Amino acid sequence: MPALLDAGSPPGTPPPPKNSLRAFVLALTLRRVGATLLMAVLAALIISPIFVTPTLVLVGRFMVIALVLVLLFTAAGVWRQRWVPTWVLQLVVVLAAAPLMTFVVYLPSVGGDIKEVFSHEGRAQGFVSITASTMFWGALLVMGALFREREARSRSAELSFALQKSQLERQAADAQLKLMQAQIEPHFLFNTLANVQALVESGSPRAAPVLASLIAYLRAMLPRLNDARPTLGGEAALVRAYLELMQMRIPDRLQFSVDMPPDVGAELLPPLALLTLVENAVHHGIDPCEQGGRIDVKAWRSRADGAVHLTVSDTGVGLIETAQPGTGLSNLRARLAAFYGGRARLELHENQPQGVRAELIIAHATQARA
Amino acid sequence: MTASSPPTALIADDEPLLRERLRSHLARLWPELQIVAEARNGREAVELFDQHLPGVVFLDVHMPGLNGVDAARSVARRAEVVFVTAYEQYAVQAFQQGALDYLVKPFDEARLADTVQRLKGRLQRSSAAAAVATPAQVQLVDTLLAGVSAELRRRDGADGRVTTYLQWIKASVGATVRLIPVEQVAYLRSDEKYTLVVWEGGEALIRKPIRELADELDPERFAQIHRSVIVNLHQVAQVNRGPNETADVQLKGRQELLPVSRSFVHVFRQM
Repeated sequence: MPALLDAGSPPGTPPPPKNSLRAFVLALTLRRVGATLLMAVLAALIISPIFVTPTLVLVGRFMVIALVLVLLFTAAGVWRQRWVPTWVLQLVVVLAAAPLMTFVVYLPSVGGDIKEVFSHEGRAQGFVSITASTMFWGALLVMGALFREREARSRSAELSFALQKSQLERQAADAQLKLMQAQIEPHFLFNTLANVQALVESGSPRAAPVLASLIAYLRAMLPRLNDARPTLGGEAALVRAYLELMQMRIPDRLQFSVDMPPDVGAELLPPLALLTLVENAVHHGIDPCEQGGRIDVKAWRSRADGAVHLTVSDTGVGLIETAQPGTGLSNLRARLAAFYGGRARLELHENQPQGVRAELIIAHATQARA
Repeated sequence: MTASSPPTALIADDEPLLRERLRSHLARLWPELQIVAEARNGREAVELFDQHLPGVVFLDVHMPGLNGVDAARSVARRAEVVFVTAYEQYAVQAFQQGALDYLVKPFDEARLADTVQRLKGRLQRSSAAAAVATPAQVQLVDTLLAGVSAELRRRDGADGRVTTYLQWIKASVGATVRLIPVEQVAYLRSDEKYTLVVWEGGEALIRKPIRELADELDPERFAQIHRSVIVNLHQVAQVNRGPNETADVQLKGRQELLPVSRSFVHVFRQM
């Protein structure tokens, strides 16, 4: 497969117009034609002292040649071929056309007699001079145009990069907003309160610890009063409170463990990142499952590269291939990208023998962007 | 059921503390009522109902497997149904329209006492006289419940909703099976018996042939552009036209070019 990229259409710019005539007219800017003609006049004036031909005629000849060359250069630029890079074609076309066109403009002055051009020594010399200077100026102009084109291309690449960056930032802001808007599900809160009410009414000694869990959960979920940056240790405490509340509600259907070694507790984390994974495991794994299952939350630091691994495994119903992915997860991905800037990745695995295992891997800060 | 036999009830809720609480309040407010069974989910509720045929059924709306509303539709007017729900406003509205009884969790004893009074009245009427519901009323309730059931399923998994198209690709990577959301897939390329999946996080071979994938993936997002290539249209950066009505596709943030063969060039004609 010919894998040549058309140099005329850098990535990120809109594809060129389909109609090549239109593309040709668009590429033939007034600026380009004007610059070429100006150069032609200058070249003619520079070379005119060694010619017997009147300066005006010489300028005319140069302008005709330059006009044809700029047309050919532009046409070669918009021609959608894939055998040679566009810039090579443009250069070759200009260099080949320069002597040919010089010859053509000489024809009228000799009445169309081809032999006449070269038989007269002065004329032959003039032909060589004009050809040489045309080729020189032509090549110079081609290089200049190509350089400008490359500049424009790198500018457009920069622009598209900036655009991508601003899109990422906007997504992160959106994700943050959604997070702040929908923190506590009323359904979860009222069901939990109904359970607490049952414990209180029956005078159960479990009422007090359950209330403590509820308070810990609410304190973490309500818009932060303190601006402390959330750590993995703090998130683990929140997740434990949440799972304790869930276990009070469905003790026959939920077992859980939270294993958080102290050496990862200080790792910074976007707020509620771990809770999102655990809520997902409850909603999509355990909740729909009549028998229920286990949720195991684990964190460790890899000895090999210092990366922090965080896993949330459930033994719930697992994932149906046609089930709509949760907005919670894509939201979390956006928050992770904004927070770690590519240093973290979130993977989902099938859990053995059943359920889903979510794994968040945060590369060591000093080894980021491997 | 005859007037002389004591009234019976079934309680269905997946949260045991809430079953206990309802049971103990009912024991105080309505000592004659016998709780003949407790169910932990909708399926159990229907089974135990058929076994015991109680006069009253308390159904939690949100239960695993079969939800309370679907369980009620299966009980179908063979008992007085009371829905128990937490914060499902759309359900409460439907219950009000259909003159169905409901309790909102956490409920207080006064609210339960009202319900008990209404239930006692209805049980007496239905044992004394024939059914009072007209076919039109029955129809209305059926429609309302069907609506609530659909809404429940929609919200329950506003996320986990099952769609017509493939949303996840399961691929063995090393010792585990990765679950890849299709939105992250850049393209799929047929590789003899296998298909190569290329996504944000890497590459993997899956056993499903490209032909099947072409049928299962959402055509709004994925398009076959070659006998052996399917591309995620959301990840296309640009299309370069080539000779002979072919083209190639460049993807966002990727080096490789994917071929578009003649018979698939029409995919990009509108772009």
